[in-house]
Amino acid sequence: MTQTMEPSSLETSNGENSHRPLGVYTRPKGGGGWRDWVTTVDHKKIGILYGAAALLFFVIGGIEALLIRLQLATPDGTVLGADTYNQVYTMHGVTMIFLAAMPLAAAFANYLIPLQIGARDVAFPRLNAMSFWVFLAGGIFINLSWLLGGAPDGGWFAYAPNTGIVFSPSHGMDFYALGLQITGIASLVSGINLTVTIFNMRAPGMTLFKMPVFTWMMLVVQLLLVFAMPVIAVALFLLTFSRLFGATFFTPELGGDPLLWQHLFWIFGHPEVYILVLPAFGIISEVIPTFSRKPIFGYPFMVFSGIAIGFMGWGVWAHHMFVSGIGPVSVAAFSLSTMFIAVPTGVKILNWMATMWGGRIKFSAAMLFAIGVVSMFTIGGLSGVTHSVAPADTQQTDTYYIVAHFHYVIFGGIIFGLFSGFYFWWPKIFGHKLSEKMGILNFWVMLVGFNLTFGPMHILGLQGMSRRIDTYSPGFGFEAWNLVVTIGSFIIALSVLIFLINVITSARNARGRPPIGPDPWDARSLEWMTPNPTPVHNFDEIPIVESLDEFWHRKYGSDEDGKIVRVASAEEVCQDGSAEGVHLPSPSYWPLVFAIGLPFIGLGLIYSLWLCVFGGALALMGLYAWVFEPVDDPDVDHHEPQKEDVSD
Amino acid sequence: MKPFSSFRASWFYVSFLAFFLFFTGCSSDAELDTLEPQGPSAQAIDSLSNPIFIIAGIVLLLVVGGTIYMWRFRSDHSDEEFPTQIHGNLKLEILWTIIPGLILAGVAVFTLITLAEINSTEDNAMALSVKGETVSWEPEVVVVGQQWWWEYRYYMNGLEDVDLSDARNLPPADIVTSTQMVIPTGEEIELKILSRDVIHSHWIPALNGKKDAVPGRVHPWKIEADEPGVYFGQCTEFCGLSHSRMRMQAVAMEPIDFQNWINQQMQPASNPVSETAKQGQETFTSLCTRCHVVNGLNDETSIGADLVSNAAPNLTHFMSRTTYAGGIFNLYEPDGSIDRSQLEAWLRNSPDEKPAYAQGRRGMPNMGLDEKQIDDIVAYLQTLGTRPSSEIILATEVE
Repeated sequence: MTQTMEPSSLETSNGENSHRPLGVYTRPKGGGGWRDWVTTVDHKKIGILYGAAALLFFVIGGIEALLIRLQLATPDGTVLGADTYNQVYTMHGVTMIFLAAMPLAAAFANYLIPLQIGARDVAFPRLNAMSFWVFLAGGIFINLSWLLGGAPDGGWFAYAPNTGIVFSPSHGMDFYALGLQITGIASLVSGINLTVTIFNMRAPGMTLFKMPVFTWMMLVVQLLLVFAMPVIAVALFLLTFSRLFGATFFTPELGGDPLLWQHLFWIFGHPEVYILVLPAFGIISEVIPTFSRKPIFGYPFMVFSGIAIGFMGWGVWAHHMFVSGIGPVSVAAFSLSTMFIAVPTGVKILNWMATMWGGRIKFSAAMLFAIGVVSMFTIGGLSGVTHSVAPADTQQTDTYYIVAHFHYVIFGGIIFGLFSGFYFWWPKIFGHKLSEKMGILNFWVMLVGFNLTFGPMHILGLQGMSRRIDTYSPGFGFEAWNLVVTIGSFIIALSVLIFLINVITSARNARGRPPIGPDPWDARSLEWMTPNPTPVHNFDEIPIVESLDEFWHRKYGSDEDGKIVRVASAEEVCQDGSAEGVHLPSPSYWPLVFAIGLPFIGLGLIYSLWLCVFGGALALMGLYAWVFEPVDDPDVDHHEPQKEDVSD
Repeated sequence: MKPFSSFRASWFYVSFLAFFLFFTGCSSDAELDTLEPQGPSAQAIDSLSNPIFIIAGIVLLLVVGGTIYMWRFRSDHSDEEFPTQIHGNLKLEILWTIIPGLILAGVAVFTLITLAEINSTEDNAMALSVKGETVSWEPEVVVVGQQWWWEYRYYMNGLEDVDLSDARNLPPADIVTSTQMVIPTGEEIELKILSRDVIHSHWIPALNGKKDAVPGRVHPWKIEADEPGVYFGQCTEFCGLSHSRMRMQAVAMEPIDFQNWINQQMQPASNPVSETAKQGQETFTSLCTRCHVVNGLNDETSIGADLVSNAAPNLTHFMSRTTYAGGIFNLYEPDGSIDRSQLEAWLRNSPDEKPAYAQGRRGMPNMGLDEKQIDDIVAYLQTLGTRPSSEIILATEVE
């Protein structure tokens, strides 16, 4: 289990690396600037790219949310028409889930997993680059629909037959189906890549049960992705064929069934919830022990409850369909399975609290956001239990009560968790801290805005306000709370603005200064053994792992009374980033070329098959060149390639 | 644990008060409120969910209170003091796995009991006089959703021989009405919920939870009202452009009033007397009967309703309903007079009043009527059906 495999050894070809089948297939030489970024196969750069792109989409999705709230601020709102509203709310969901939350988690996974397991890169660095570019291509493709006759208007859940060509005649749903198909490729490939990485590339001594909880949760997420993405791929193919080629999978008169879509969508869609939330669970499982100065409480239970959630997550999908007409026996079964998935989730919450209990807690920005997850996610979890009770759900489903519930899960759980991760790992990634003062302000403004936005939605839902309505009439008791919700949403926007300003001012203040020293938080896991920011080769020397929280155990021991004493300073334990002769995978153009081909195939399916030929040719060229480019370029000097890898 | 200091105690009370206000805040004058059940099924759901809200509220207070309590353990990490390094506690882990499990198991038992209750049906029947004959009517209503209004069909001889498999071509019913479903009080009404186009969801919160209308399927559901009244509903499954404007009401009447309503609804329309109404009938026959049926005038639409759903509201007793256009406009002013200006605006350019894809054969198109034609048609429509009681008209008013 502890066998390690250096990525470089996968990429090196025993001195035959000067062999070139065709002159054009040289690996890029870098050369600095943007070229480094578009050809990079470095998991850290790819992580940063994921983060930057996802934050951009997060802002776009946020603007869409503000438009929704402006429209609903007052009864009979006229800010957006019904048609535009339907497009905006659909794109808000699609953007936030597929283009913001998932890739933000991918950003952390990419950057941190190799560092936490003591590896030089992921198992397949070029595939990793491809995942990012394909994701970005898919995200841009979906958003192109705004310019090409209208965005998708059938909701992110896209229930058939309302998404059929008769009921949604614009090309929006085609962009949805094909765009998510493209981003799905990215997620699937990345899931396989990181799974292989975690299983095969751990540092010597790092058994599975010495892995940090973050890496464990990410492993569960990658496995969920590997099994869930094919299901949505099938559903999207059925939708695409129904819309573009007249297939009748969802048409009852011709033997189809609208519920087929719902089953496929939610068999993907419910594991997707855990795909989104487990990364946040992983992040705060690193943050809470660090700032409590205690090890994570009940490590094996944290791991097993994560695995349990990963398994049970497959058995609850039909709780989205309690009123869809699946019959009382199915309703009863899924009602019970849904209740009991609350148990492992509850175990996690209590373990985090036990970790904090009796600790010496530093209420840093990262820690505040992590505590925010513990309490806000709990609210979402508890409202989740109230609608696992199927009879109650017949009142609650498709009302704002559900909107409140899943925003407490997705925003209260995931977004707070990701922000915790930003504040925690920012010095690791960029070599300087974000301002703590602004971070704490960021937290409190976001907490207030968040609760003002989504708290009243519980009330609105129980008062009978339906979801996905573009307007409501006065007199149903919705006016006051909707106004509060809209005010709250702008407070959230303010908090995000504070974050972005913090990013800019912190970078500006750090300019011209040396990067922050090692170990700014007195942290616990391996990634902090590398200098900040992480050098391109990660570890000078692959560490030999002896325990969970390896880094912490190298810094601290206990004296004869059992009291914790420092045995080494962080400077002594941390590597200085001065390794030479580390062999790294070469950059490549072809993942990008392949990715550019995919949206053209999508456009071709919608507009003219000739574009498919062009896109397909581009993608094939990318793959062909990818296969035939030399595994390494002898002219590129990665830290003296003549020397053998120092870790050997 | 130490006793609460006065500061902490006040926080505790504030949060408890907030929690209390949170749930009492729901019981204002909200017509769609889910927490004011008016029938047995809705009551069963309510009495199941109330204790669960309370349990959830207690757990919430414990967890949120617990996280706030962590302030006690604050430290600025300026020293290298370490607390006791506890790695876990097996007994605690088992405890907090089993206790939530047991609580949820208890919840599960009551959930299953209520689930069985709201899915059971009773064999109730009421004696009604239909066309002079006494029939034993098992209260059943066929509910058909389409973009963006609800149709209610009554088959007074029961549904045994009625083929509901094709919602777009249903057998003729004794009574066809739209946006308002009239039901007798104290009787369990079985609904058969269908759809003619996309998925909708039928929901009258005061009387029961919701049930989706799925094309190609017949979904059974039931509702029952204890007291006479008008109970509001709203389509709750996103169904396209005017999803927010697809509303409905259940009008519950004492059985005797229900019998009167049946008698009235069974009457076909008679020919109008006044000159404008006659003119209106002519215009109606040439334009409106393409999609709309008025029993006694045209028993079928002239070209089969030229719509995706193959159906438009039956207008035989238009005036007996208090709302139209998917339940978004009130036909009457509170004093019982007709709200003419709204009705005229609707006839002048309906897509302007309610978003629809008329060009895609979904929703009423702009018929290009001139003002004279509009006046005539309004006069004609006023001959169709009788005005409901003023209680019903007033109850339809929101606020």
